[in-house]
Amino acid sequence: MIVRPVRMTDLPALMALAQRAGLGLTTLPANQDRLTHRIRWAQRTFAEQVERADADYLFVLEDDEQQVVGISALTGAVGLREPWYSYRVGMTVNSAPNLGIRRQIPTLFLNNEMTGQSELCSLFLRPDQRRDSNGRLLSLARLLFVAEFPHLFGDKLIAELRGKGDENGCSPFWNSLGRHFLQMDFVQADHLSSLGHKPFIAELLPRQPLYTCLLSEPAQAAIGQAHENAEAALAILRHEGFAHQGHIDIFDGGPVIEAERSKVRAVRESQVLPLLVGTPDDDAPTWLIHNRRLESCRVTSARGRLVSGCLLVDRLSAKRLQLQPGDLVRAVPLLATQAKAAAA
Amino acid sequence: MLVLRPVAPDDLPELQRLARESLVGVTSLPDDRQHLLDKILDSCASFSANVQAPGPENYFFVLHDPARGQLRGCSEILAMAGFSAPFYSLRNRPFVSSSRELNVQHGVPTLSLCQDLSNHSLLRGFHIDPDLVGTPMAELLSRARLLFIAAHGARFADTSITEIVGYSSDDGHSPFWDALGKHFFDLPYVEAERLCGLQSRSFLADLMPQYPIYIPMLPKAAQDCIGQVHPQGREAYEILLREGFEANHYVDLFDGGPTLYARHNGVRSIRHSLIANACPGPQSGSGRAWLASNERLGQYRAALVHLDEAPGDLVNLDPESFQALQLQTGDPVRLVAL
Repeated sequence: MIVRPVRMTDLPALMALAQRAGLGLTTLPANQDRLTHRIRWAQRTFAEQVERADADYLFVLEDDEQQVVGISALTGAVGLREPWYSYRVGMTVNSAPNLGIRRQIPTLFLNNEMTGQSELCSLFLRPDQRRDSNGRLLSLARLLFVAEFPHLFGDKLIAELRGKGDENGCSPFWNSLGRHFLQMDFVQADHLSSLGHKPFIAELLPRQPLYTCLLSEPAQAAIGQAHENAEAALAILRHEGFAHQGHIDIFDGGPVIEAERSKVRAVRESQVLPLLVGTPDDDAPTWLIHNRRLESCRVTSARGRLVSGCLLVDRLSAKRLQLQPGDLVRAVPLLATQAKAAAA
Repeated sequence: MLVLRPVAPDDLPELQRLARESLVGVTSLPDDRQHLLDKILDSCASFSANVQAPGPENYFFVLHDPARGQLRGCSEILAMAGFSAPFYSLRNRPFVSSSRELNVQHGVPTLSLCQDLSNHSLLRGFHIDPDLVGTPMAELLSRARLLFIAAHGARFADTSITEIVGYSSDDGHSPFWDALGKHFFDLPYVEAERLCGLQSRSFLADLMPQYPIYIPMLPKAAQDCIGQVHPQGREAYEILLREGFEANHYVDLFDGGPTLYARHNGVRSIRHSLIANACPGPQSGSGRAWLASNERLGQYRAALVHLDEAPGDLVNLDPESFQALQLQTGDPVRLVAL
């Protein structure tokens, strides 16, 4: 398996993936024109022909038979072309000590605080490929890319995870909040959002803070909770140091997780190493390895052994990375728990 | 006959009895001896104060039944609602959601805390013996305040408001409070009303919701309370509606009851009352009913009278009324048809 930038020839595969993803992936609608446009835009991004505000790094996960089985994306910066909104879950304290009154009322503040940060998005892995470390490779390849090219990204990396909802696409948070201002159901709003209308929708919401005690109980319970389908993605990013710091999606209340770019594990702990080709033993740890190229970027995961300051991997992995022995790679153990083993 | 007059210190025991019987939500009449005494003294000072413009004065009237030696009701006017402390209410106006791109425009009804009504005079504390509900005595108790305003316009604003008690159940639950106030004040409705009777509502200002409340987010039962009148508040409500008061965009923060508003020059008892010079003269007692008041301050009196003839420059009042209104022959008397 490798992760590489998307190509126009991937269009049919992307259409098939988008159709399978269905409701869960608003940023990747199964629409030929829109996908074509997005691929073209991603190609220009990898060719460094667009500004950071417009950058859209769209990656695919490809197996050794050159079948595309997953996608993931990374934007240069959100909110620089049009406002990017989230709610920050803040707090209002009502206190009257002489009456013994003390209330804490979580309060939602509409904000654009994430403006200029880079967003991890559009992650989808074909269900039959959700095994081994495919999901981790697909997600973390983006972080290794950031580690290699930090100047292309914001100080923070963020990811918006889908919030609680049922299989019909109903969101209790939306029903208790957004619906009153838009008078449309969540599926409809989500559809408009996928067409790029999300900022317009946000502008229909009141600017002033909202007391959560006035939301329905299911809506309150949904605040900052990820949809069960998003839990795996959440766990992977948590492991990298991402945390929910109180920002939530304005539609479904799902968590917006964030991490300082320089503190993300894959960024902080990745190292540049010369590549050696050989036979790493079977108990060698698994590494995430980037070929350090931008337009012809390749990221793979492979067993590897540190040998006198070099990373020893098998011939196939080097081939997947399109590298020769002696070329430099950027690598990080796939899991933090393997870091010690790798250093040993 | 019943006579309306300013409250006097001797009225304290009777006032306490009225307070015990008064409806929860008539926040200006709590059952608390010291508090009632303070109110009486404050009112006495207000009637005797030399006032050029409306300020903190509170004029407290009682409906006295000399035959029984009882008070049968009371009512008040606060010269300026927000003089001593801001007067808080909820403004009900739509938040307009609008997007040209999405071709959406609609209003979401929204309650916002405001002090818009601070500069009006405030009619409050209307409480009447249940036996007198629906009788002309209720009209006297409420409208005599308006005749007083007519006689002493400089002491009041040009406009008056009044908060009508909103809906609550027999066991003292307000669905509006339970959906809104309870979250912010952390008190049962009855307790909150009691506390606000003892002190001004503004002492709870720090606890009030500073951000808008979007009505569709409230439970249906709470939404239904907005602008609703408590059954026992209907009397006070309807009398003032007939006087030309109207509900506009304001409701009570605690129970969602409507706040009525009127400009004084459009209020019936103020605009259409007339002044005649009074003489004692026997009346048949079956003539048309009028509300009558003298034009004095501390000696203010108002009563229901029956006149055989419409008043001109002069008016004959039956001797009992003439005496009850503490008139001397030739004194001006203000009259408005019941």
